Amino acid sequence: MASLAETAAVADVKTRKHLALRIDPLRLPVYAWLALIVLLPNLLLIAVSFLSAANGRLNFVFSLGNYARLLGAAGFWRLLQATLEFSLIASLCGALIAYPMAYYVGRVASRNKALLTILVLVPLWISLLMRVFSWRLILGQNGVLNSFLVASGLLEQPSAAFLYTATSVVLTFTYVSIPFVFISCLSAFEKIPAALIEASEDSGASKFQTFCFVIWPLTRRSLAIGFSLAFLVTVGDYVTPSMVGGMSGTTLGVLISSQFGMANNWPYGAALSIALILCVSVILAIVMRLCPARGVFSGDEGGTSRAGSPAATPPTGARLSGALFYGLAITFLYAPLLLMVLFSLNDSTLQSFPLQGFTWRWYETLAGNAGLVAAAQRSVIVAVCVVLASTVVGTGFALTLHYRRGPGSQVIELLLALPLAMPAVVLGIVMVLGTELIGVPSGLPRTVVGQASFIMPVTMLLVLTRLRRLDPSLMEASRDLGAGRIMSFVHVVLPLIRGAVISGALLGLTLSADDVMVTLFLAGPSQTLPIWVFNQMRFGFTPSVNAVFTILGAIALASVVLSQIVARLRATPPLNPEHG
Amino acid sequence: MRQASDGPVLRLDHVSKTYPGSNKPALDSVSFEVAAGEFFSILGPSGSGKTTILRTIAGFERPDRGRVLMTGREVTQVPPNKRDVRTVFQSYALFPHLTVAENVQYPLRMQGMSRPERARKSVEALEHVAMGGFAARLPHQLSGGQRQRVALARAIVSRPPLLLLDEPLGALDLRLRQQMQHTLVSLQKELGIAFVYVTHDQGEALSMSDRVLVMRGGRIAQLGTPLELYYKPQSEFVAEFVGNSNMLPVQFEPDRDSYIATIQGARLPEMRSNLAGQGRIAIRYGDVKLVADDGGERRAGELAGVVENVLFLGTNFEVDVRCGELRIMSSVPASHAPGFANGQTVKVAFDLSGARLFHG
Repeated sequence: MASLAETAAVADVKTRKHLALRIDPLRLPVYAWLALIVLLPNLLLIAVSFLSAANGRLNFVFSLGNYARLLGAAGFWRLLQATLEFSLIASLCGALIAYPMAYYVGRVASRNKALLTILVLVPLWISLLMRVFSWRLILGQNGVLNSFLVASGLLEQPSAAFLYTATSVVLTFTYVSIPFVFISCLSAFEKIPAALIEASEDSGASKFQTFCFVIWPLTRRSLAIGFSLAFLVTVGDYVTPSMVGGMSGTTLGVLISSQFGMANNWPYGAALSIALILCVSVILAIVMRLCPARGVFSGDEGGTSRAGSPAATPPTGARLSGALFYGLAITFLYAPLLLMVLFSLNDSTLQSFPLQGFTWRWYETLAGNAGLVAAAQRSVIVAVCVVLASTVVGTGFALTLHYRRGPGSQVIELLLALPLAMPAVVLGIVMVLGTELIGVPSGLPRTVVGQASFIMPVTMLLVLTRLRRLDPSLMEASRDLGAGRIMSFVHVVLPLIRGAVISGALLGLTLSADDVMVTLFLAGPSQTLPIWVFNQMRFGFTPSVNAVFTILGAIALASVVLSQIVARLRATPPLNPEHG
Repeated sequence: MRQASDGPVLRLDHVSKTYPGSNKPALDSVSFEVAAGEFFSILGPSGSGKTTILRTIAGFERPDRGRVLMTGREVTQVPPNKRDVRTVFQSYALFPHLTVAENVQYPLRMQGMSRPERARKSVEALEHVAMGGFAARLPHQLSGGQRQRVALARAIVSRPPLLLLDEPLGALDLRLRQQMQHTLVSLQKELGIAFVYVTHDQGEALSMSDRVLVMRGGRIAQLGTPLELYYKPQSEFVAEFVGNSNMLPVQFEPDRDSYIATIQGARLPEMRSNLAGQGRIAIRYGDVKLVADDGGERRAGELAGVVENVLFLGTNFEVDVRCGELRIMSSVPASHAPGFANGQTVKVAFDLSGARLFHG
């Protein structure tokens, strides 16, 4: 009898083991997305790089020819060097501007911090095309800079030396970099407990010593992350160089995109992409190595400083120079945008001063433009589809990853977010390959899949961050009070993550409406609004473009304001801090 | 740096401070002195201004009026990093990116001391707080009590004449807190550093200090030795805050040529006054005597009461007795025999020798 019981017990253990090895059915969608949207397209990229092309057709024979070709081409090395140089210099300049700004907003400014933060971040919501285009207004041959220099007598005639140069690419990239570095550094500055600064001063350290030995070590990793973000965004940008770079401002991204366009040599383009990714990875690894993070806040350094204490309010001199620097940087960020709004209302086909008088006609011509209206409609359809899919899937994945942690959850999360960390030009071609293989019909469906590949992770990460900040005992409390899993989710978790879900959807909306880099590869003849505008600018220019951008900018601004209002409404009132 | 060991190491001279946006002063003309090597505590409830005093001494707050002097030199406008004083922060404020040894060496490094000298001194300071084996750890790898010790080591490593401690034991559990009290006192005597110790725990203040400053609403309520505060409180506030005292309303009624105190109609023959009217007396829990009601006659000055609640505190029982509308707390020495039970009727007597009377 005893042996029978033993056998039963052994069998029981065996079945349990068997059960534990089975895949959690709720995680199946996660695996499916991972395989179809992330892994397969990327593997395809690697595979294609070992093929060759003839007359626009793939030749399915393994070959190292593409790599041999690019390694031997002087043009490749020159372009690679230029590409990395542009992005490195621009990210560095962006860091030099944004780091002090973040220091000012995070630790020096005592009032209007939220406003000061939003002002720097608003450009992130505004179409990249618009920001780049606005620099053309300034640098172009009929641009503001030239008309100013000619009018003031410094130049005899307008110079072509400003636009279509390497410098204009670096300048525009710097402009694009600032918000990324800022957002990354700001929280690092804010996170440093006031008590640490006081402890340093109490130990006899001067302001400068405190910066070197406390503030810098505690913020350098965030600076490195911001720098890397800016570097990634600019290095994968093939639109900016093609708009402001001219011949000397061409980058590897432009070459890669042309392999999937006019040159029509996918294998060579794939090999170039892989070379670019490898170089970028090496550079980012070096940057992270240069700025090591050490130690963890244990949570009890605490001690909020009171208003009016010297630690909280630095001397007036520091405050004034900080405000001045911040003001200059903000002017740099906004002047081009405002200029564009101004020209959209200017009654002249020339983009130069003096202004010719007020007009609505550029807006009126827009309404009658059938191509524009159709493109706008397509943009709306794409945005709605992408946002719906990304929000549902992203929230679902976040919940799955948070509440159903299993083996490899962390790796899965990183892989899902991989499209965010890829240079845009590479993501674009990866999605071309992926959608081609799965057989997604070209046009709008492809655009939707392509955009969802990088918008879903944004939504997912936002919700996941929120979920991780929730007090885990809230769920336990709810179940302790008699609510089941589903009721607990509906009444406790959902209301708490709603803000993150909504802001993820709004962010997704602007990302979708603004995207050029990925969509340009996928849209084909079904152009979305940014693609239509981009093509307009290539074929010729009318001031109507200013009007389109002004409207787009206004919509972006409205969605920022909306998301801020949502955040305010959702924010719980802060607890009264206890004063000893 | 130490000089003139006979003069006070710290003097506050009519220091006042009002935070911007507040109409109530955080400090209202506060003056006191701390002698070299003295263990000086500042005691008070939250919001009484004790932390503001500490931050003013450290240099993190500038007073609106008044002066701060250290070893005779005025430092009112001197920034924190130029003052010869160190702080042990309530939150410890250890630098998360520096090891224990680097944290302790931090003030020496700021002075520009050479590396071997720094290393030697930090080892010495860590030995003082029994943290010698932890030099290479990062703060997040330590327990709360260990972080506390490292913070202490960092503060004493440069041997300042004055050390400020801001409720340093607040985050520790009871057992650790008692251990640290002993560590602190012996360390203070050994190093001869004057301590200014801020706390809201009267037990801590009384047990460790040479003198205690009691703060209330930004003003000094009383300054004295622990014994003075305990036995001669100058106000109801101090009596209640420091002494575990019952505040009982008394009525003075004419009796012969003066007035005699009554509580709930019961006369207290040992308490007389030249003034008629209302008053309050502070009677410490230990001076309230309880006798089981045997049905016999109550003597003069005794009240009848019912036991509401008994707490066993180890060395004694704290008994909550209801006498009519009054609630009186009594502290009864613990013994093996069961003491008082809930609902039991008792006779309440007062030892008025230590009682303080406040008219008004």
